[in-house]
Amino acid sequence: MKNVKWILFLLLAALSAHAQSVTAIRNATILTITKGTIDRGTIVIRDGKIAAVGAEGSVTVPAGATVIDATGKYVMPGIIDTHSHTAVEGSVNEISLPNSGMVRISDALDPYDISVYRQLAGGTTAALVLHGSANAIGGQSQILKWKWGRPLPDWFIPDAPRTIKFALGENPKSANFRPPPGVERQYPATRMGVEEVIRKSFVDARDYLARWEEYESRRKRGENPVPPRRDLLMETMADILRGRIDVHAHCYRSDEIMMLIRLAEEQGFRIREFQHVLEGYKVAREIAAAGIGAGTFIDWWGYKAEAYDAIPHNVALMEKNGVLTSVNSDSDELARHLNQDAAKAMKYGGLTEEEALRTCTINPARQLRLDHRLGSIEVGKDADLAIWNGHPLSTYSRVETTLIEGEVYFDRARDLEARQRLATEKRELLKKEEEQQAKEKKGAKEEKKNG
Amino acid sequence: MQRVPLVVLLLLLLTTSVHGAAPGVYAITGGTVHPVSGPPIPNGIVLIRDGLIEAVGANIAVPPDATVIDAKGAHVYPGLIDAMTSMGFPAPRRPRRGPGQPQPPDAQREEPVPEPTPATVAARSVRISNDDAAARRATGVTTILTVPAAGIFNGQSVILNLGGAPVETSVIRSPAAMHVAFAPRPTWTYPDSLMGVVAHIRQMLLDAQQHASARAIYERNPAGTKRPEANASLEALAPVLSRELPVVFAADTDLAMRRALALAREFNLRPVLAGGRQAYKIAAELKAANVPLLVSVRWPVPPSSREDRAEQPLRVIRDRMLAPTSPAELAKAGVAFALVSGAARSSEFLPGIRKAIENGLSADDALRAVTISPARIFGVDRQLGSLERGKIANVVVSDKPIFEKQAKITRVFVDGRELRIEPDERAERAEAASPVEGTWNLTVRTPQGDVAIRVTLQLEDGKLTGTYSGDRGSGEIRSGRLDNGSIEFTITVSGSQTQETSDWVFSGTVRESSMEGTVSTNLGTFQFTGSKSR
Repeated sequence: MKNVKWILFLLLAALSAHAQSVTAIRNATILTITKGTIDRGTIVIRDGKIAAVGAEGSVTVPAGATVIDATGKYVMPGIIDTHSHTAVEGSVNEISLPNSGMVRISDALDPYDISVYRQLAGGTTAALVLHGSANAIGGQSQILKWKWGRPLPDWFIPDAPRTIKFALGENPKSANFRPPPGVERQYPATRMGVEEVIRKSFVDARDYLARWEEYESRRKRGENPVPPRRDLLMETMADILRGRIDVHAHCYRSDEIMMLIRLAEEQGFRIREFQHVLEGYKVAREIAAAGIGAGTFIDWWGYKAEAYDAIPHNVALMEKNGVLTSVNSDSDELARHLNQDAAKAMKYGGLTEEEALRTCTINPARQLRLDHRLGSIEVGKDADLAIWNGHPLSTYSRVETTLIEGEVYFDRARDLEARQRLATEKRELLKKEEEQQAKEKKGAKEEKKNG
Repeated sequence: MQRVPLVVLLLLLLTTSVHGAAPGVYAITGGTVHPVSGPPIPNGIVLIRDGLIEAVGANIAVPPDATVIDAKGAHVYPGLIDAMTSMGFPAPRRPRRGPGQPQPPDAQREEPVPEPTPATVAARSVRISNDDAAARRATGVTTILTVPAAGIFNGQSVILNLGGAPVETSVIRSPAAMHVAFAPRPTWTYPDSLMGVVAHIRQMLLDAQQHASARAIYERNPAGTKRPEANASLEALAPVLSRELPVVFAADTDLAMRRALALAREFNLRPVLAGGRQAYKIAAELKAANVPLLVSVRWPVPPSSREDRAEQPLRVIRDRMLAPTSPAELAKAGVAFALVSGAARSSEFLPGIRKAIENGLSADDALRAVTISPARIFGVDRQLGSLERGKIANVVVSDKPIFEKQAKITRVFVDGRELRIEPDERAERAEAASPVEGTWNLTVRTPQGDVAIRVTLQLEDGKLTGTYSGDRGSGEIRSGRLDNGSIEFTITVSGSQTQETSDWVFSGTVRESSMEGTVSTNLGTFQFTGSKSR
């Protein structure tokens, strides 16, 4: 009991210390994304949230605040990547089944993946970590903040929706995942089959729900029925139908995009975002009308047959036709400079600066249904910010400091300073190890001689 | 493995009993007795009668019928317990597939060993050869826990004495625990990913719950209720869900340990963690979870070449250096733990414990970790784990303190019967380095160009393990096996364009310093060649 009291006391102390932590970023060019650009402005951060934003002088910086002087620098919201496979231990594909909706990325996270830190160095602060595309319905995905160095539970966003990966086209029909000889090819093998797998999964889910309803009603009648099996795959499908899990669908061709839009209508589930969607420009109005977002590559194409019709204007064409569009990575490497992909949408298709910036900030935040806390610099939102030494749409600019909820997770000066220290540690450890081994070898030799 | 006729096995068992004298009355005198249950007794006496310890102390009258064993200058201990092995089970293997693989004629074809299930009872199928038992005894180990090292549910383990007696009379506890590993199956067999393995375990436990409740409902009211199907696996999980049987999760990293603890919390299980390499990172957390550990003393080995070592990231080097501090950190935090050989060779057990001592563990704590501590973890501490009146007479005599480098085990008693200690040539031969061990540079020829992969391989008990690294990722090899010069193993690579990973299954032939064969990948089957790096 005494212990409990102590823990409570410490907890309260920690909380109040946290509550008092105030940071101010001053003299920065602030790209708010939703409320224009402030040429010389201040952001006040309290308790991890943005407490005030405004022109220098119009915002009071509380006494005792930690001040980051950002004179000559640019601040933008942390970049959000809606197509990541970073920080997963083992395979990102449960490849063995046409529908692997029972598996969860959250069961296999690896917070020590160095790519997380590298992405922070590119201003990326949050990501949708997706299951792979080997199956028509893949595993449950996970939205995370890149809180490098923190324990995993801190990486989860409390009000983030649950998500799942669907996949259409070549990958789920195993055109690119050929089993080794001796292993039977897995159903489906055609685009028709992919559609059927998805449809059948929802039909099965409704049967499953009906079985449970019957069980409940028999129980209420005072009978003593045997409960049905709790099937994790069917629970997932049922939760999609109930709107508790958001669908993010990997797709390429316009025909399959239309197929899924119609299938969603028929089966009564909602698609939040088309992923890749390289032919989205062909059916942009239809995608917009269905209220579905699009996360795409700006200039990756031709790497397989279904990616031949891609054009770099895809982002701009979809955005201008009313599709909520983002650029995303599908790559540890690209996730480090999504700002550059956003910039390319100005060259290819003529988006404005602000429209381009939206494609890696507020638009992905909306696609993830987290725009109430992410994606722009507004009072009340999470203080997830990237401070750049130049305009982030310039290829010459780089990130100086990245903050998540007001806390610094990457700082270029600190990183440079740490490199030397880490190199020394590595050298010394290797030396110590070699000495230990030499000693052991010598001991073994003597033992042999004596024995 | 060729199937050994039962008669041969029986004969083997019989010859063993001839080896050891019948249990009788012994007085081990003059040595320093380490009872574990109390402080060492200089010039102490251990009395053994009819397989049990009759008395331990300094001033004990030696009965006239006792055979006196003079242990002057030597040290007397309870027999050591190695609480995590897979002794007596064939190395896991799977049917070979792929073209270019020479298929043996039907008569010689190996029968694939089926994957264990929760219903697999180790005590029913364990076959321990005399040579293997002798090799363990020569290191002071008189009791082991063993379970197949294959599958996700490895089965129910057995704790048995290594006295050369038939299994039936050697068993101390069966089942000792249910064993679970986060081990994906080969690609294209569910579950073939780590997240799939977790989902599979979760579904199995849910099904076991449902099965139990369906049964209960049926038994209350069989008329008018459809009778539930029998299912041995789900029924075997019932004592796991009721916490009667602990679950040993194989978990080396902090992430794997947390994953296991989360599952244990989700289903209110009684977890034990086996492996524990990174326990040093989370000792306080493990203490808070009140979970016992079986820490494997098979410490990470650095790559042989200096260049390879220098190329490794700091965190890998750091982890390798800190892993042997795990036992000391656990002792400091007050976590119950045993030291076990895990997948190590028997000859590596004592040196592995020594390394833990060099890294801060006291010799006393080390001794407890191979005697009373494992006995408590598995609830056999009334019979085993210390030299106390009434306990099973498993006693070892060492010419020097047992963890000292030059110490030799001079006498071993199992169930009160003395067994001769003989150097086991066959075991030594089997444990000699195979040419496959070492670092290999492999080149895979793909239509997108050559892919270079560096692999470091180790071999023990026919099981091939190791690590790989290259442009397409790094990690531990899986499903490795070596058989008469044909090699097979699986690695996970990431794509050249996107990051989605896939499994590459290597199968080929190995010579002294070269290997070649084919790689099955998601994009087709390619040729590979490899050469041994110095």
